[in-house]
Amino acid sequence: MAKAFKYGVKGITGYLEPAERELLRSLFDDVVSMLEPEERANQDPLAALVGLDAEAREPSDRALRRLLPNVSKTDDAASLEFRRYTERSLRESKIGALKAASLGLDKDELVLTPADARHWSMALNDVRLVLAERLDIRDDEDAGHVHLMQDWSQAEDVESYLALVYNFTTWLQESLVQAMLQSLETRG
Amino acid sequence: MTLSVALGPDTQESTQTGTVTSTDVLTAPDIPWNLVIWNDPVNLMSYVSYVFRSYFGYSEAKANKLMLEVHKKGRSIVAHGSKEQVEQHAVAMHGYGLWATVEKATGGSGGAGSGKGKGKRG
Repeated sequence: MAKAFKYGVKGITGYLEPAERELLRSLFDDVVSMLEPEERANQDPLAALVGLDAEAREPSDRALRRLLPNVSKTDDAASLEFRRYTERSLRESKIGALKAASLGLDKDELVLTPADARHWSMALNDVRLVLAERLDIRDDEDAGHVHLMQDWSQAEDVESYLALVYNFTTWLQESLVQAMLQSLETRG
Repeated sequence: MTLSVALGPDTQESTQTGTVTSTDVLTAPDIPWNLVIWNDPVNLMSYVSYVFRSYFGYSEAKANKLMLEVHKKGRSIVAHGSKEQVEQHAVAMHGYGLWATVEKATGGSGGAGSGKGKGKRG
């Protein structure tokens, strides 16, 4: 069983079983592959280099839309323009955090620097956002139902398995954030 | 929504003395955009509060107050500034996975100080 993250003299530390590390690695990789921008033949390489994407569109996939949301609730044209200037670098920063967290999975014992901890919290959050879309969590009541699923012997279909994975990542992120909040107190 | 509860540092500065520079006088009213954070059933309350504290440098009390406002009222204005400033904050919030939008301020509904982002972005 994983141990909750805690904050101590070594910084933020945690422990994961090999199977849990494998699970997290595949979740991080899945979200990375969702976020990787498609290469287009007619793409302007210089524009891509500076992060512009004239072809960017609001994603049709709900989960991706939650990871890369519109910046305006009411002005679609403004959202699209903003997306063209910022979406590529947002995708890259998310991919960076997910890959950094994934690299840290090489050992059972996790010792996180403040930067590692930030990457981990972002990576776990993005994984949870994607799982929540797949589980159709729309409100607190839905979240409550999913939360009831805690026993791995109950995993009999894809949905119940996803719910268990969601609850595991939720627990892990909560323990990490508590440790990060504690480190804020100590650093002042 | 509650009316303004805390004056941002900018507001205090500009009313302090008569010797403010002309730039301050010109920029003070020129703050017409809000950064809004929306509630969702996924983001942990602790995480949202952590992001407000570490990114904006808000106190624990202020971060928790804004987080609870998001949770209970569905949204909260967590920072304001120029369009460019709030857009930069919005990208940072999207980086953290928070659901953020920008909107033109309509006046009188601000609940937050001006966000002094530390730019700690991933």
